[in-house]
Amino acid sequence: MQRNSRQNDGVTRRRVLMAGGLALAGLHAMPLSRVGRAVPATTIRMRSDPAGEIVMFDPVGLFVMPGTTVRWVVELNVHTATAYHPANGDYSQRIPDGAAPWDSGYLIDPGNEFAITLTVEGVYDYFCRPHEAAGMVGRIIVGRSAGPGALPPGDELPAAARRALPPVEEIMKHGSVSPI
Amino acid sequence: MRRTIVAAAAALFLAATANAAEINAPQGFKKVSGLVPLPDFIPGLGTLYVKPATLPVGPFLAYDRNGTLVSSIYMVPLADLDAHKNFQSLPVGATTVTATELQYNAGHPGVEAPHYHIVLWHVDRDAAKLAAK
Repeated sequence: MQRNSRQNDGVTRRRVLMAGGLALAGLHAMPLSRVGRAVPATTIRMRSDPAGEIVMFDPVGLFVMPGTTVRWVVELNVHTATAYHPANGDYSQRIPDGAAPWDSGYLIDPGNEFAITLTVEGVYDYFCRPHEAAGMVGRIIVGRSAGPGALPPGDELPAAARRALPPVEEIMKHGSVSPI
Repeated sequence: MRRTIVAAAAALFLAATANAAEINAPQGFKKVSGLVPLPDFIPGLGTLYVKPATLPVGPFLAYDRNGTLVSSIYMVPLADLDAHKNFQSLPVGATTVTATELQYNAGHPGVEAPHYHIVLWHVDRDAAKLAAK
């Protein structure tokens, strides 16, 4: 199931804004290590500094159970959440066989969001179209480590993207991995 | 009669106000938000216009909310710098330059690769940035 709510209704938008506010309120408490919260979140923030120098998915690594709906919400800048899959262009498949590839399309304004329910077990790697070369990529493990995404990425991914993908073991151990 | 004059004056005032906010970009320049998925007005930069044939370097002409040209921006991919590529005789939006700024950018629709914004400010930079928030 995919849901792209660039044109949010009022209730949804308010909920998103509240979530964004809470997330911003927690910024100062963010740990400096890559290891993040103990409880896996199902909302992934699409972050940027005002100048557009630093961009990231937060968390960058996430473990969820099959059937979980994962939602991406824009905080700042223009982003996409796009699965590594040939259906999305000249990209290798880095989501499980049988899983549906997704592409949020461009999410332009703060509060824009996109959601998908992940049912097939395995590793899902995804990226932001305008920021892949800058290393804005993310990894979700659904249930267990399996599929092509569990293999190390090769030169088909930009160097910054390869560096930014957190190891499967780190996600399995901590449940959620912060990009900072 | 007096009511007619007042109405006419009000209409003229409204027309003048509307014109003040219009952007008269040079011929061939297109609004960037009409070419790629970006907001009409980008905080910190303004409303951008570019000749599509000059992408990715530009120049991009940036206008404030009043339709005033505030800067000319060149977007140079890091890969082009690494390749020692030269860019010569690039046009400018105005000949008055009050400040120059080089700003790294991780990428955005239209210029997806990490690049530098080379910004030539044509007005007071701090005032323009404040107005562009």
